[in-house]
Amino acid sequence: MAQLFKPSANSYAKSSLIFSIAAPVVIGLGIAAMSRSPINTKVDVPKNQPVPFSHQHHAWELGIDCRYCHTSVEKSAYAGLPATEICMSCHSQIWTNSPLLEPIRQSYATGTPIKWTLVNKVPDFVFFNHSIHIARGINCNTCHGAVEQMNITFKGSSFMMSWCLQCHRAPQNYLYPETDVAGHVVTDRTPRQKVFDLYWKIQEDGLDKLNDREMQLATGEDPISTNSTDVAEGRKLVNQYGVKVQQLADCWVCHR
Amino acid sequence: MAENQQLIEGNQTYASLDTVIGDVVLDQRRHKLPWLTTFGIASIFALFVLPLTLAWLLYQGIGVWGNNIPVGWGFPIVNFVWWIGIGHAGTLISAILLLLRQQWRNSINRFAEAMTIFAVMCAGMYPLFHTGRPWVAAYWLLPYPNIMAVWPQFRSPLMWDVFAVSTYFTVSLVFWFLGLVPDFATLRDKATNKFAKYAYAIPAMGWRGSHRHWHRYEQAYLILAGLSTPLVLSVHTIVSYDFAVSIVPGWNVTVFPPYFVAGAVFAGFAMVLLLAIPVRALYGLKDLITMRHIDWMAKIMLTTGLIVFYGYNLEVFYGWFSGEKVETALMQWRFYGPYAWAYWLLIFCNGIAPQILWSPKARRNIPIVWTVSFIVTIGMWLERFVIIPMSLMRNYLPSSDRMFIPTFWDFSMFFGTIGFFIFMMFLFVRFMPSITIFEMKDLLYKLGADKKPQSDAVGAGEAH
Amino acid sequence: MEDQTPNRLDMDLVRQKLADKRGPAYWRSLEEIAETPEFQGWLDDEFPHRRTLLEIDRRSLLKYMGASLALAGLAGCRGMELEELKVVPYVKQPEEMVPGKPLFYATAWTLGGVGLGLLVESHEGRPTKIEGNPDHPGSLGATTAQTQAAILSLYDPDRSAMVLNDGDGSTWDAFMDAVAAEFSNQKAVHGAGIRILTEVVVSPTLKAQLDGFLKVYPGARWHQYEPFARDNAFDGANLAFGQPVEAVYHLTKAKVIVSLDSDFLQDGLESVVLARQFAEGRRKLTAEDMNRLYVFESQLTCTGATSDHRWSMKPSSVHAVATALLQSVRSQGAVSPPKELSGADFNAVVQDLLAHRGQAVVIVGDQQPPEVHAIGHALNVALGAVGQTVTYHEPRAAHAVHTGRDLKSLVDDMNAGKVDVLVMLGGNPVFDAPVDYNFGEALKRVSRLRIRYGLYEDETTDACAAVDGGHSWHLPATHFLEQWSDTRGYDGTATVAQPLTAPLYDARSPHQLVAALAGDGAPGHDLMSDGYQIIADHWQSSGHISGDFDKGLAEVLHAGIVPNTTLAPRVVALKTFDAAPPSTTGFEVVLRPDPNLHDGRFNNNGWLMELPRPMTQLVWDNAAIISLKDAETLGVQRGDVVQVTVGKQTLAIPAFPQPGHPVGSVLIHTGFGRTKTGSVGMPTQHQSLMGFDLYAKTVGVDSYVLKTSGAAAYVTGATLTKTGQSETLVSTQIHHSMEGRDIVRAGTLAEYLRVPSLNPDKLANPPIVEQGDLDTGVPTETPEQPNIDMYPEEIWTTNLPQWGMTIDLNLCTGCNACITACQAENNIPVVGKTQVMKGREMQWLRIDRYYGGADPDNPSEVLVQPVACVQCEKAPCEPVCPVGATVHSHEGLNQMVYNRCVGTRYCSNNCPYKVRRFNFLDYSNLQFQFTEPATLINKIYKKDGVSLLKMVSNPDVTVRGRGVMEKCSYCVQRINDARIEAKKAGQEIQDGAILTACQQVCPTKTILFGNIADKKSEVFKSRSDERAYRLLEELNTRPRTSHLGKVRNVNPAITAQEGTA
Repeated sequence: MAQLFKPSANSYAKSSLIFSIAAPVVIGLGIAAMSRSPINTKVDVPKNQPVPFSHQHHAWELGIDCRYCHTSVEKSAYAGLPATEICMSCHSQIWTNSPLLEPIRQSYATGTPIKWTLVNKVPDFVFFNHSIHIARGINCNTCHGAVEQMNITFKGSSFMMSWCLQCHRAPQNYLYPETDVAGHVVTDRTPRQKVFDLYWKIQEDGLDKLNDREMQLATGEDPISTNSTDVAEGRKLVNQYGVKVQQLADCWVCHR
Repeated sequence: MAENQQLIEGNQTYASLDTVIGDVVLDQRRHKLPWLTTFGIASIFALFVLPLTLAWLLYQGIGVWGNNIPVGWGFPIVNFVWWIGIGHAGTLISAILLLLRQQWRNSINRFAEAMTIFAVMCAGMYPLFHTGRPWVAAYWLLPYPNIMAVWPQFRSPLMWDVFAVSTYFTVSLVFWFLGLVPDFATLRDKATNKFAKYAYAIPAMGWRGSHRHWHRYEQAYLILAGLSTPLVLSVHTIVSYDFAVSIVPGWNVTVFPPYFVAGAVFAGFAMVLLLAIPVRALYGLKDLITMRHIDWMAKIMLTTGLIVFYGYNLEVFYGWFSGEKVETALMQWRFYGPYAWAYWLLIFCNGIAPQILWSPKARRNIPIVWTVSFIVTIGMWLERFVIIPMSLMRNYLPSSDRMFIPTFWDFSMFFGTIGFFIFMMFLFVRFMPSITIFEMKDLLYKLGADKKPQSDAVGAGEAH
Repeated sequence: MEDQTPNRLDMDLVRQKLADKRGPAYWRSLEEIAETPEFQGWLDDEFPHRRTLLEIDRRSLLKYMGASLALAGLAGCRGMELEELKVVPYVKQPEEMVPGKPLFYATAWTLGGVGLGLLVESHEGRPTKIEGNPDHPGSLGATTAQTQAAILSLYDPDRSAMVLNDGDGSTWDAFMDAVAAEFSNQKAVHGAGIRILTEVVVSPTLKAQLDGFLKVYPGARWHQYEPFARDNAFDGANLAFGQPVEAVYHLTKAKVIVSLDSDFLQDGLESVVLARQFAEGRRKLTAEDMNRLYVFESQLTCTGATSDHRWSMKPSSVHAVATALLQSVRSQGAVSPPKELSGADFNAVVQDLLAHRGQAVVIVGDQQPPEVHAIGHALNVALGAVGQTVTYHEPRAAHAVHTGRDLKSLVDDMNAGKVDVLVMLGGNPVFDAPVDYNFGEALKRVSRLRIRYGLYEDETTDACAAVDGGHSWHLPATHFLEQWSDTRGYDGTATVAQPLTAPLYDARSPHQLVAALAGDGAPGHDLMSDGYQIIADHWQSSGHISGDFDKGLAEVLHAGIVPNTTLAPRVVALKTFDAAPPSTTGFEVVLRPDPNLHDGRFNNNGWLMELPRPMTQLVWDNAAIISLKDAETLGVQRGDVVQVTVGKQTLAIPAFPQPGHPVGSVLIHTGFGRTKTGSVGMPTQHQSLMGFDLYAKTVGVDSYVLKTSGAAAYVTGATLTKTGQSETLVSTQIHHSMEGRDIVRAGTLAEYLRVPSLNPDKLANPPIVEQGDLDTGVPTETPEQPNIDMYPEEIWTTNLPQWGMTIDLNLCTGCNACITACQAENNIPVVGKTQVMKGREMQWLRIDRYYGGADPDNPSEVLVQPVACVQCEKAPCEPVCPVGATVHSHEGLNQMVYNRCVGTRYCSNNCPYKVRRFNFLDYSNLQFQFTEPATLINKIYKKDGVSLLKMVSNPDVTVRGRGVMEKCSYCVQRINDARIEAKKAGQEIQDGAILTACQQVCPTKTILFGNIADKKSEVFKSRSDERAYRLLEELNTRPRTSHLGKVRNVNPAITAQEGTA
């Protein structure tokens, strides 16, 4: 009897088979890629702020210590944002008429707080504590990227759980000994001091005097190192700091 | 005496087989009031009650059900296990009996397989929805490299379930479809209506009945049969692990795996009979699904029923033998507690009632067989009810004992899925050949039907 | 309070906008206010779970208020668009505050005429948790369930929010004008028409202020009324000593304690210190040192359950027992034993008392009639207890009056039309005054001004407004955490109470109000007069604070107690008095304050409503508690409604047969059945079909209708009849026997000395005499089987601390404080009666109660056992979770990860202790879901209220959403804080540095927590105690929580089957 389909039907059939197998794979990979890209993580996406505050200017060019504004970073879970007072402590003297700083003066005059746009956020069920990370010598840039070089601040790292666990499962890949300009290991500094020494070094000697790990930090790339010598050094520091590695990946350290 | 009965009765030729089976599908006028009414009722549940329940459930959370602490698993898991059990006959008949060269399977396997597919669909709904948040469940439970750098826990029986059930479903589906291909071809060729022609032509996938086709077909079919045979045993074994692995009194029983499998086959055959009997009557398939088939199935029901009953007795025995105060207390509670009626009803349904099938008369008496199947189907549901919520209601610490009282939504979802099942079955009967045409021909041939087939009546799908 | 905040504007804005708004309209207008930038900005910061008052200094009222409203308004509008979240710093950051770190402030609370010193935790100006003040003699760091729950009332959206004039919204200024006008008239008659009705006043300042007021208006009168004041106690003292002295007990010195119907271990704020003292005498498990407690009581109480010997009897019979005891003690031997107990037993008790002269004490329950109190005092004198185990002091209360009679005289004046102006400071007389006073009627005779000052708009508010003629005013009161005040502790020690926050609503403190009324001579005195100043002035003049006052006051505030304010003991001389035995007929009705709701003031507090009552485990209802025998004779089951008739008063109330309750008496708790209260106390009710409600009713029934002035302690001559209807009573435990399983280990002191483990099997089988011993005949224990184990013990294989807990059942009184503390600390939602009925209560910690003995009507022992997650080392819940949401930490904690949980509930099924709790519905967002089914309307409409309630949340604990499993975490947030601080300080976590919430609150120090891997730690010692056992050990779950067996110091002379404890 008459054929129902043209010969081309066969190729349609075959291709549809292939497609039905390939499609899920492609879609899956696509989603995976997207969820890891800035579309989702918002890494490197500058945020508009009521006042165009430049970390580069304040932290890099002027060399103001992080703690001058983020006062509670060593004491509390919360790094703390500068109260308007703190801004005004300088800007009552300099740039007193700059239109850019109008919101600051307004806030100070009316007592209305400034609403900064939130750049770094962890979900409600994550209990991150700044103070302990500082106390263990984890540099600000490790998570926040090269803040001291940001004009308008943006998110430095993805803050995905897998990203946190890179360090929480193997801190030795992130800890590194502090060295002085001559490259000798500095021993008389606490981990906490080490965190902020980096910025002083950058201030005094500029980038070229930094060692590779410090350079990684200063340029905002992931300061991980897996080469055996660095890891060995890291291990030493892990013991020296008394970091309880096995515990770091316990759920209730961050979730509770 | 069942021997001298035929597997195919009446004066059948290859052509008549095509007509007898094919016309159920091709001649739509044969679907009269009984079909319409049942289908109508079923669709109310499938298209209205079930979606409504799920919507309300997803909006509110599982609080709409009767579950509580200690009874974390109530109706949903009961129904899940029940449906999975029902889904067992299909694979058993198609795979195991095929490998065992049981000819009598031919006229019921297609039907049973379809039943399996739909039953597993119903079953699958429950584990997903009983979390109340299927979206999370879905993506937490699948093992894939995610941005949380954490994996599911493969130690958990629930994890095994996910794989067991999905594998079972996939294999059954493929198995079923493969078997349908030659029949689709037959229907394609017999169909006069243009739409029907195309509708069957596409799934027929260009089947021409050439030797190569048949050769490949036989190979693939055997391989699949081989694949799915272990599944028949594995699925319900794994489902039983959900309970056997735990330390809940009344759950951690070593006898569970075998007796769950037996129970599944038991329930499966009961359901096949439950549906096959009316269909065979409605669509004049009496010649193909003969008394002999029914007799066979009744025998299997009797056997598996006895195994299950043995399981019940073992439970009681261990309750006493363990000397565990908790186990003993649980048995007491099953015998005399507020839900004792469920337990005794279960004993009647699965223990006592099937015994009537010892008598050959009863086995060949349609009403009796049908009734027994019905009773058994209920009994199997009760079995799961007795095992799951009733065990959970009693605890190691008497202080946490609580009653479980199902709510409206518990029932609505249960009947919703039943509706969905019947809905699908009736669509199947109406639009697909519910008996394997070519295998029947094959059978007719093998039975050495005295009269040679008249050449003019040889259909394209005919077995060489 | 003193510092002025930058934007005063908001406040006026709020005022205008709210002036005429009520109900939903009220909240909606709040949303408008919430649009103003100050509040908008406040919402988000880098840590949204710390979404708290970041820009707000603790003392700056107005913005705080605004902020709370902002939450109220915008809760619904928060989306997932993370990039749009705002973060808001301070404008001026307060010195003492480090953002993200809580601060603790010492303050105090007063209930039932006793003050309790507290430390309150504050997160960026938001009080979140109440703890006891360890330096306060009345608290010693512990508190009660009611104290724990008090914080919830602060954020209660149903609280009275604005001034009402004749039922319509008004302002304080308008009120002051009205007062000025009226009081100027009164001036002429020296205020003869003015009456002030307060609750029992303890605050020295308030007393001084009121006395001051009476000087200004000599004609005025000040009355006090509280339904459960110490009236009988004072009358008794008058009877015995001729002066209204207050007994202060020193149970540490007591070897034998007799309770005459007194629940001193659970009832009232004084129970905190008494329980602590009692526990001290319980710890020493030797025949010489362990104290012994005899209880003669008219209901099953925590004290009775804890006691060594307990006799239950009709309240009237206590008199007979007391008299018999007194005679016997005086005549050095038992005479005329009362019929309630056998002569032998009675004699044994008497001998025990005589043998412990000076070390024995008799405590009489406040609800017993004056005569019994007098006899009790006489007994103490006869036993040489005075000065030893009990001392008599001048009352804590400012005026030790018989509040019942005091109210009567007020009512008489009212009926006589002598009262033009009635000022009611707190209280709710219309609801809880004796029916025969008919206060509501009398109120109609108050012709000109009816002023009601209270925390809620309630029955009294309505009654005032309902009267035509004159004017009625309702004034919103401040919560005790919003006001400057002061009070006196159990031993009289004074505390200056400071506010933790500004008033959430437009409320004033009683001190401000009285000051304003007194007007310092000038009516219309500025009502904004500083609450702080009033208190400060009083204490400056009192002279207790020496040296530089401001500095001194700062220290006092910091310490939480005013030095040398403890009341000196008074010398008392026993008079002869005749204590006529009470005449009694028929059933005796005992009205007692509800253990949770007290006289009804906590009626709108969800935590207390849902907290299982001790012993009955009843929630969300009161009931006619009767003995099983009476239930049988009446033919009623639990929940069958019975008609209680006393004279012409009748009350239909569901019955609750209670083992251990005396025959012939019915106990009914008060505080339920409010006709005007918040949405907790009066929800649309539980009868629901498919989750849709069918009809509405109040929670429980109002039992005050049976309260008559004549009956000082209990009503006699009542009749009970079966009505045929029945209602659902929900209690969290349906099974009452241990079914012979080894769950709670208990034994007598003798048994303990024989088998220290109190292991029932060992107790049952006497030790076998082995071959070697046959000649000596010395029995030896069969040697312990070594614990053969396939798994390595993990505790010792790590250098990390290993957390563990012990619960000493010997000390636990079952007072429930731990449950509420846990609820407050861990953001545990309230689920409502319907849900509890289904078995879905959420409290992580529960107190199981089992009865022992053959006679169900009179159980030979009542055992209580706190059970929370025991943190198994081989936790059955862990391997079954398909997503690994519950896993083990290296510190031995069984971690439950909410954000990983998908809600299969397999873990709960597999938990032998059933301590896991599941969010079957979206409980945390539907704190009102028990008022209506969780419908869409409810979700939207109630959001504002809910979000205000959310202010009580502990920011260090995740709020769990729907479909998530949760359970006790050993307060891991506290552990983590301690660990981080220790690490920063470069040291190990010290033993005792971490207190779990339940441990901290416990008056008897039942719960110990710490590092069991540290052999020097307290918890290790207690864990190695011989009595220590692990619940369901046989399952090899290896609980980290150990229970310690209960030892009862029974009197050998009293045979077990007779004496029942």
